[in-house]
Amino acid sequence: MILSVLSSPALVSGLMVARAKNPVHSVLFPILVFRDTSGLLLLLGLDFSAMIFPVVHIGAIAVSFLFVVMMFHIQIAEIHEEVLRYLPVSGIIGLIFWWEMFFILDNETIPLLPTQRNTTSLRYTVYAVKVRSWTNLETLGNLLYTYYSVWFLVPSLILLVAMIGAIVLTMHRTTHGAVKRQDVFQRNAISFRRTIMRRPTDPIMR
Amino acid sequence: EFLIISSAIPILAFIIFEVLASIRNGSEKLSSYELSIEPMSGACLQFRISYYMFALVFVVFDVETVFLYPWAMSFNVLGVPIFIKAFIFVSILIVGSVYAWKKRGLEWS
Repeated sequence: MILSVLSSPALVSGLMVARAKNPVHSVLFPILVFRDTSGLLLLLGLDFSAMIFPVVHIGAIAVSFLFVVMMFHIQIAEIHEEVLRYLPVSGIIGLIFWWEMFFILDNETIPLLPTQRNTTSLRYTVYAVKVRSWTNLETLGNLLYTYYSVWFLVPSLILLVAMIGAIVLTMHRTTHGAVKRQDVFQRNAISFRRTIMRRPTDPIMR
Repeated sequence: EFLIISSAIPILAFIIFEVLASIRNGSEKLSSYELSIEPMSGACLQFRISYYMFALVFVVFDVETVFLYPWAMSFNVLGVPIFIKAFIFVSILIVGSVYAWKKRGLEWS
């Protein structure tokens, strides 16, 4: 039951992202989606991923999306008149995703649709786990840094490229000369009698 | 049973929203608040890029921290080579942050 409580708002919030009239709502609905997927990961027993989801996805990624929405003053879009224009291509892509989901959902250990088989598969308990088992975090640490250590070092390069790329793009023109900055207190302290003069061709001057 | 609950919950959410928070917009309500005088100008200030740079750098270092959490858990059993690899990982990202520092990307202008 908890699965249904968590999964249906995730799907509905995902739909509302595309349908919300206010663009800020379009950024707030993914926060709901992330929260629900974090709960779903908890149900699957992946405690580390479930705790990392709010930290990384909501705290960093959704905040970045929010900054983008605020940066570009995205106006309240009148999208509802034009929805039908996008329907053929988007319908095909949506159907492809739907079909792929049913491929994955053929797995018996994820009881999404109530059938005769799935109601009994939840009752099986593994007693060896209850003695002392490895936490998610420990197993990740054991595998990620030993067997998959290349996969661990490559994301550092990806993150480096991301940071340097963003800084190159934004600081491009203003770093080789002087960065055009001003000191506000110095600007306020300049007395105008010494720095501004009237030109002789000024129409007010006689 | 799953389908009944999963379809009832979003419908319930929308019904509660409509009942509790029905907003009626008027022309005076929609204009921005400016201490009982007429609003003088538009409410949008110019966006400063330093806001976005901080969010970006936070994302990068947050993901780096996420990679370091499992390493910290199994640090004692993994030994010296893994320590050196983690050191390389952190140093690559320190290179990135030094670049950001030198190019004055993080100044609060």
